[in-house]
Amino acid sequence: MAMKTLKDKYCIVGVGETEYSRGSGRTTRALAVEAMRKAILDAGLRASDVDGVLDYQGGDSTFANHVAPDLGIRLNFYMDVMGGGSSTEALVGLAMGAIEAGMCNTVAIYRSMNGYSEFRIGGTGARAAQPVRGMDLAQVPFGMRSAGQTFAFTFMRHMYEYGTTSEQVAHVKVAHSKHASNNPKAIQKERVTVQDVVGSRWIVKPLHLLDCCLETDNATCIIVTSAERARDLKQRPVHIMGVAGRVSKPRVDYHWVHGPISRVAGYYAKDIVFGQAGIGPEDVDVTGSYDAFTFTTMLQLEEYGFCKKGEGGAYVSSGIIELGGKRPNNTSGGHLCEGYTHGMSMVIENVRQLRGTVDDTCPGAAEGKHSYDYSVGKCRQVRDAEITMNLGWAMPATGSALIMRR
Amino acid sequence: MPQPVTYRGMSLIVPDNDSEWKDYYAHARQHRLMLRACKACGLMRYPAMHACPWCMDLGWTWKEVSGRGTIYSYETVVHAIQPGFKDATPYAVVLVELDEQRGKPTADEALRIIGNLVKPDAVTFEDTKEVAIGRRARVVFQDLGESMALPQFTLSDEPPQGRVWRLPE
Repeated sequence: MAMKTLKDKYCIVGVGETEYSRGSGRTTRALAVEAMRKAILDAGLRASDVDGVLDYQGGDSTFANHVAPDLGIRLNFYMDVMGGGSSTEALVGLAMGAIEAGMCNTVAIYRSMNGYSEFRIGGTGARAAQPVRGMDLAQVPFGMRSAGQTFAFTFMRHMYEYGTTSEQVAHVKVAHSKHASNNPKAIQKERVTVQDVVGSRWIVKPLHLLDCCLETDNATCIIVTSAERARDLKQRPVHIMGVAGRVSKPRVDYHWVHGPISRVAGYYAKDIVFGQAGIGPEDVDVTGSYDAFTFTTMLQLEEYGFCKKGEGGAYVSSGIIELGGKRPNNTSGGHLCEGYTHGMSMVIENVRQLRGTVDDTCPGAAEGKHSYDYSVGKCRQVRDAEITMNLGWAMPATGSALIMRR
Repeated sequence: MPQPVTYRGMSLIVPDNDSEWKDYYAHARQHRLMLRACKACGLMRYPAMHACPWCMDLGWTWKEVSGRGTIYSYETVVHAIQPGFKDATPYAVVLVELDEQRGKPTADEALRIIGNLVKPDAVTFEDTKEVAIGRRARVVFQDLGESMALPQFTLSDEPPQGRVWRLPE
């Protein structure tokens, strides 16, 4: 059944983030307040203009009704949602729905986490010692607990079915490291080679250390409002063409039960999001495919149709996803190099790409003046970027997507 | 409530009201791999959930399966995050596709169960050089106290099914 579309009726008008660090020395509440304040100022709004707040977390963060009053925001709508990756895009859709329903006018969406210094996403520390009960009994007693461990069956099966190689997938890290070298915010700015990736130590085969993202302390925030309201604001509005939220395969909890396990949720999400936007993969200039691991970027790009199913290895190693290539992916360096944010930083980056004001080292970057010289330490703005697409990943069985235009 | 079982530093808890896992693990302690089968359509399911995902019926019976199958995917943990597994690395975790109900009710479906690849004693982890997609495996039971056993998988001497592949290293 065809789904409804709100194409071009809503915009992202403000973005903000804290420093990406490995030791913030602050609470998640302090981080969230800073990120939200920056996003409000970026939009040219006042606190009293924001009346809705959404956030997501996994028992590791602060709450909307704590953060908003700290900034003097009186709420007409708020909600704290459980979840990690793929939540950003889903909450953009929920924000549009809340505004469309007349519940509020302008929604700030944030994620705040001390993902390195407090709650390690990788499952080490306190989380590794928790009692095992309920659905965990199907996998944790077998030494399978972290994200990499629970996704590795999918990655390995993809290699078996399609001949995908470690070297091909390593190009994702290579490309993102190239982008991060031009991003002053990035935690890891050094460019790496394929040999660096496949020569790094094993974590859980087929993942090497450099196939895995960087646990990070940070907060990120974006602001959604109507296109009508956006016209009067400070920044060039970025229009939302299509959104799909937490689209899932038939089984989510025990995702490895349902085959083919080399298939990911984009298989179902692509028709929803491209259908709303009225475009196809060929029309997209910049992608932001979630890179918790190199493999997640590759799997989603092929599932959404940027190449044929099974050809993701060839696609990511072709140069297409690098700055200067036909369709760069994660121009900020992403979770592999800039820092791990559960997806929101990739939406922020694409908003800035569409504004033409990516925060690289070009002296006129804030006014949209760029050199387009992608050598080390220089530019990362994509020339004339008109349409971007974010591919959010929670796990093989759940994903979200967001298409935006300038 | 039965006492929690300690295994590799973890506390495994299956309380009396755990209507998904209690009987499954009790059967495992008797060294029987039992799955729920739908009373209406007859299809089995794993894990032991409360409705049939194929016909939504709530009625079920326990049905014993052979525990024989083929390795559908695997991973090798080299850097353990759980403290009790640090001294066991590298170890293989396998996803075994059981012989029963393969390709039903659609071509992509099967009964797939996770275990470690172990020696026939059910306790010692198998050499990770032995693990490969396509190799045949059978269930063995690792007793944990009086009330619980972990179903694990060991390689069988049957010829492999389909193409045998492991990550080039």
